Amino acid sequence: MSMYLEMIRVRFLMMLAYRTNYYSGILIYSINIGAYYFLWSAIYGGKEEIQGLSVAQMTTYVAVAWMARAFYYNNIDREIAAEIKDGKVAIEMIRPYSYLGMKTMQALGEGIFRLLFFSVPGMIIVALTFPVSFDASLTTWMFFFVSLIFSFIVNTHINLLTGMMTFFLFNNTGLIRAKRVVIDLFSGLLLPISFYPDWAQGLMSYLPFQAISYVPSMIFTEGFVGQEIYNALLLQAFWVFILLIPIRLTWILAKKHLIVQGG
Amino acid sequence: MNVIEVQNLRKEFNSYSSRPGLAGAFRDLFTRNYKVHAAVDNISLTVKQGEMVGYIGENGAGKSTTIKMLTGILTPTSGSIIVNGMNPHKQREEFVRTIGVVFGQRSQLWWDIAVQESFRLLKKVYRVSDEDYNHHMGHVIETLEIGPLLNKPVRKLSLGQRMRCELAAALIHNPPLLFLDEPTIGLDVLVKLKIRKFLKEINEQYKTTILLTTHDLTDIEALCERVVLLDEGKIIYDGKLNQLQAHAVEGKQIEFEFLSEIPRTSLPGSDNIQWEQKDATTWLGYINGDEQMVSQLISDVVQRNPIKNVRINEVSTEEIVRKIYEEGLALT
Amino acid sequence: MFNISLFFQYASQYLKTRLTYRVDTAIEILSDLLFQAVNLIFILIVFRHTSFLGGWNRDEIIFIYGFFLVPYALFTSFFNIWDFNDRYIVKGEMDRVLTRPVHSLFQIIMERMELESLFGVITGLVIMGYASVNQGLTFAWYDVLIFMLMVIGGAFIYAGIFISIATIGFWSDSRTDIMPMMYNISNYGRYPVNIYNKVIQFVLTWILPFAFVGVYPASYFLNKEEWYGYAFFTPVMGILFFGVAILLWNVGVKKYRGAGN
Repeated sequence: MSMYLEMIRVRFLMMLAYRTNYYSGILIYSINIGAYYFLWSAIYGGKEEIQGLSVAQMTTYVAVAWMARAFYYNNIDREIAAEIKDGKVAIEMIRPYSYLGMKTMQALGEGIFRLLFFSVPGMIIVALTFPVSFDASLTTWMFFFVSLIFSFIVNTHINLLTGMMTFFLFNNTGLIRAKRVVIDLFSGLLLPISFYPDWAQGLMSYLPFQAISYVPSMIFTEGFVGQEIYNALLLQAFWVFILLIPIRLTWILAKKHLIVQGG
Repeated sequence: MNVIEVQNLRKEFNSYSSRPGLAGAFRDLFTRNYKVHAAVDNISLTVKQGEMVGYIGENGAGKSTTIKMLTGILTPTSGSIIVNGMNPHKQREEFVRTIGVVFGQRSQLWWDIAVQESFRLLKKVYRVSDEDYNHHMGHVIETLEIGPLLNKPVRKLSLGQRMRCELAAALIHNPPLLFLDEPTIGLDVLVKLKIRKFLKEINEQYKTTILLTTHDLTDIEALCERVVLLDEGKIIYDGKLNQLQAHAVEGKQIEFEFLSEIPRTSLPGSDNIQWEQKDATTWLGYINGDEQMVSQLISDVVQRNPIKNVRINEVSTEEIVRKIYEEGLALT
Repeated sequence: MFNISLFFQYASQYLKTRLTYRVDTAIEILSDLLFQAVNLIFILIVFRHTSFLGGWNRDEIIFIYGFFLVPYALFTSFFNIWDFNDRYIVKGEMDRVLTRPVHSLFQIIMERMELESLFGVITGLVIMGYASVNQGLTFAWYDVLIFMLMVIGGAFIYAGIFISIATIGFWSDSRTDIMPMMYNISNYGRYPVNIYNKVIQFVLTWILPFAFVGVYPASYFLNKEEWYGYAFFTPVMGILFFGVAILLWNVGVKKYRGAGN
């Protein structure tokens, strides 16, 4: 256990070492929030609300979605892909820890860093620049944080899976890029799921992506109320456990593959 | 004719150090400790056409930095460089057509395509005519024995094979001046010998001037009459290799192997001789003096003791260089 | 002349490499298409809930997006320098580039070209075609020439901005995130600038002129006469920004510190 804590700490220090990322990360997210803020303001025009969300809720939705992304987003898929390609994974296999567990812990270290140094100061900047409301109740904040942890786990699961695909594909960069695009679109980061046509919403309810961004953002903006919150959290928890199955299976297959191919 | 003329060349770098620990990392976010460091410190050097010069020094002595300035990659902080009659950095594109460069640690060839495709691309880059290419490269390919490798992609070659191809690639435009930075690093003895033989040949055939840096001093012994020794950015020796040996090592080492065990007392003693016992029957004598004294010592010892074998040891360049860096060298 | 034939030499080598990795190339084109589709889907869905965006209708916005894709495709095919600092400065590949008798920037452009991104030109043309038919737009024969001029201008603006940023690597080898930041800012150019506030409009027009890659030139083809002045300024901005970038590059190369120091 202390070993995994150490990994979180090391990754945290590594993140700290890159000083410009620290400032520019916040700026990048603010730039994106700004773009969507203006876009949504123009889309709303004079309208009171679209799909049950007011323009103020929409702005908050965008800001929270991006700042939550700062926490759950990580590059472990690319790292895993690189380590498989360099043959480092074969060495990692003989180490006395779980490779995937270690990667998850590194992601967590990165996530905590980003939460403290990106999201929190970023939120302050965004709150000063754009009309965002953070006057959610204490229970909403609590539900939001629980939901955020689930987001992180679901997203990390998906990253582990995409990263491991490198065992079976020669070059994985295309898939990794495609995954990012799909997540941005289907997780509700760019558009709340409720804006999609009904058939698309039906389709997406069978996919894990909305557990990543749509759920925490809707909880925070109080787009979900009462029973809806519990249902959404249960859905996230469902995906947290279900995704463990393909991860386990892929890992077993990957190990076989590694033995046959010799790294 | 001087191919390389360097005067008071100097290159400074800014470097910064990280502070330790978490608090240090936080402080580094805002300010950093900078300091100026001269990687090359006022060196002057001339190389004539057809010379093969060994440029040696420890890691960080400034070898690579010098080579990079001579090849036009880096701009000097101060001083003047004329190579092949040009200023390497100012006239870069024209200049680099007159030199060949091999970086042992970095590939010049395209990783994914066949070697000959890389050659074809470089032939185009250096604007070499078909006629010149066929005439000159046919010979290079044959001597380096890389004919069978030409249609393999670079990533499939072994290090030795790749290095021979790298060398050929640097010679596509038949440059009168060749820079080799660690060309034999990590290679096995046979490949090393092949490369040395080849370098000697082109040096004789085309009067190609070669400047070579290496950690393997046997390369230098095999190829270079002249060595330039660098320490902390300064030239500490520039001259003939054999004179370096004469300067650096005062006297000779003589190894006596006796038939039986011999006590120290039965060996001649004088201020100029130091004895060291190697094993029960073998003694090493260090003598400070010329050949006359050496032969005098041998006859003294042999007269008094039954002897099995006598050997005068040549001191290797490696030992000399080690000695220089450990003890310093009295410059002449 | 020499440079052009050299370019084709590199391009043919590039195609040979790509043909060896056919599956990767296909996946790359597919993921490009997906990326282009996402933005289109966004526009389509948004217009399910509104009929105007800052006074522009659905088909106009789609046309602007389609136009944007064409110069952007040219830019991503030939100016792949987003990892210049890592690849060329930190790993020292610049050493090798500088020992060859061709302009260093031109070499890097040729080494890093990704011709499969040119597929975006087709996507862009298809999207523009769809939007034009929907609105019943008509074009004169010389519009083709103007289109090419505007596209090249737009690609040069992108190239100019990103090359200028890459040159920072010559002065400082520490990692910076300005590159990704710029990619994010460039997204602003995909929508009409009049939806942003005055400061952002000014920045997108004169400082980081991404508006010249999308809405301004596109407005010429959409017959939005109030924007014509800006539209015709596109090639000028392109030459200006590209020229400055090359100037910065040439100064920067002299400051190159080499790797491993």
